[in-house]
Amino acid sequence: MQAIEISNLEFSYPDKKVLKKLEVSFFENKFSVLLGINGGGKSTLFKIIAGLLNNYSGNISLFGKDHKTLTYKDRAPLIGFLPQFNQSVFSFTVEDVLLTGRTAFSGFSIKTSDREMVEEIMKDLSITHLRDKTINLLSGGEQQIVMIGRLLMQKPKILLLDEPTNHLDVYYQHYLMEKLKKYSKEGFTVISIMHNPTLAFQYADCFYYLHDGHVHTAADPCIPDIDLLEAVYNMSFVQVEKNGKTFILPFGEQV
Amino acid sequence: MRINIAKVICYGLPLPVLLISMCIGSSKITDIFYYSTLLYKQLSGVAMSTSEANSFAMTSNVLLNVRLPRILLTFIVGAALSVSGAVLQGLFRNPLVDSYILGISSGAAFGASLAIVYSLSFINVYAFLGGIVAVLITYAIASSNKQLSTITIILSGMIVSGIFIALLTLVQYISNPYKLQAIIQWTMGNLHSASWNEVKQAIIPITLTVLCSFVYRWRLNLLALGDDAARAVGINPVPDKVILVTCATLMTTTTVAVAGIISFYGLFLPHIVRMLLGADNNKSIPANIFLGGTFLLIIDTLSRTLFMFEVPIGVFTTILGGGFFVFLLKKNKVNWN
Repeated sequence: MQAIEISNLEFSYPDKKVLKKLEVSFFENKFSVLLGINGGGKSTLFKIIAGLLNNYSGNISLFGKDHKTLTYKDRAPLIGFLPQFNQSVFSFTVEDVLLTGRTAFSGFSIKTSDREMVEEIMKDLSITHLRDKTINLLSGGEQQIVMIGRLLMQKPKILLLDEPTNHLDVYYQHYLMEKLKKYSKEGFTVISIMHNPTLAFQYADCFYYLHDGHVHTAADPCIPDIDLLEAVYNMSFVQVEKNGKTFILPFGEQV
Repeated sequence: MRINIAKVICYGLPLPVLLISMCIGSSKITDIFYYSTLLYKQLSGVAMSTSEANSFAMTSNVLLNVRLPRILLTFIVGAALSVSGAVLQGLFRNPLVDSYILGISSGAAFGASLAIVYSLSFINVYAFLGGIVAVLITYAIASSNKQLSTITIILSGMIVSGIFIALLTLVQYISNPYKLQAIIQWTMGNLHSASWNEVKQAIIPITLTVLCSFVYRWRLNLLALGDDAARAVGINPVPDKVILVTCATLMTTTTVAVAGIISFYGLFLPHIVRMLLGADNNKSIPANIFLGGTFLLIIDTLSRTLFMFEVPIGVFTTILGGGFFVFLLKKNKVNWN
């Protein structure tokens, strides 16, 4: 089953055409990763899917439902989006920020079940000690984890993440990837933009490459294909075997 | 513990401050005990001497027709200004704005002056239209830049405010003396002239808009995180913003109509509430209603009793607020992005 199916998607900014007749589908209950060079339109594609940009042409369907006919309310249980890092102006506490993730469901006031959910999610992400801390005084990594918690508060079927490992130290990068893999096993569909192929290949199931306005995949997107990776980044990668695991490392030379 | 003290300040102060303000005034400090004995006599039907009856009638008149309407008006104006400030700061994601800085007050004054010159009825409606046009222009100028930055919002607000003040001056210049007087009376409204009339005029629009903001208080948290943060969790921020900007504008224009332009009050009061209770609007909007009313009442009571003459309240709030603005600029390390 496909969680997201996109066909003929075109999008331009006033000065630049970013997506050209883009075709792609993402599998349900998998951890998919979108790779590609900077400025290639990955964030734009995610913003379109999440409903932040509307003036696109083409077809997008979420679990078979036409994206254009979905209201915000219909979309909330289907898809949640982690935008690239955004600083809060006000000194909200971590709890306040997490609770905002429930707005689409709770409307005008916080429900008791929302508070219980905050407890659960803080425990799951090991951030219970940060509950009353002010969000803009936390480190970049902690803020990122809180924002992912906010996304989980929404409990959407699809988690769409724009560079979630940004700002995280190496421990938290692996910690987060482990979590995302776990979520994909627990019934979430996780789709993430990443800039680190090593990390991506270590944890994710399926791989997509955005290049020159099109999405490229191997014949089966869920089988790692080093040649494609090398072609997209125009550099060589090596596979290293260690303790029965395969790691893909950038080698640095041009192909 | 700290939070409890803060709650006492926000919710415990209003009643005592209201009572104290009732007792002190420009004529003299009312002997509340003497008055209550007289009131007791009146209510229980005990006969009073002529001098007692005279003094009772006069004091009652001062209390009920001079001080009470003024106190009520000051309270609702203060509540409206600080709630509108809190709402606008959240919506614009900018702790340095209020209805005055965004140009709403000047737009309202201009709208009202036009209505007076063309002898239109429902002056307040035109004031509201002027205010909403001003805030929309400010928003449009500021957001033509890719991101709403703190400084661009303040600058565009200042520009819009300046233009509307200039237009207002122009209207005043070309209007005849009678209308000029009416315009000046409208824009220079002062709590000094408060009567039951003003209270009646202000109470309905302010109660409705404050209630509406109260209902939206939790959603304001999400809006304060930005449009993308709202859309990302499945909320279209536009309708909420339209409703809240309308409420904040209507609150402000109503206060301008009954009490004149009281600048900066809506800027610093929400900050004081945030210092006491935190940024969560769910808690701070109700506190803004009560502390906003109470604090303006304290300022007003001081302004009418501190000196031999009465100091316009706008003078006090501008001096307090101006200093506070500088403090915030330093504290928030505001720069060009």
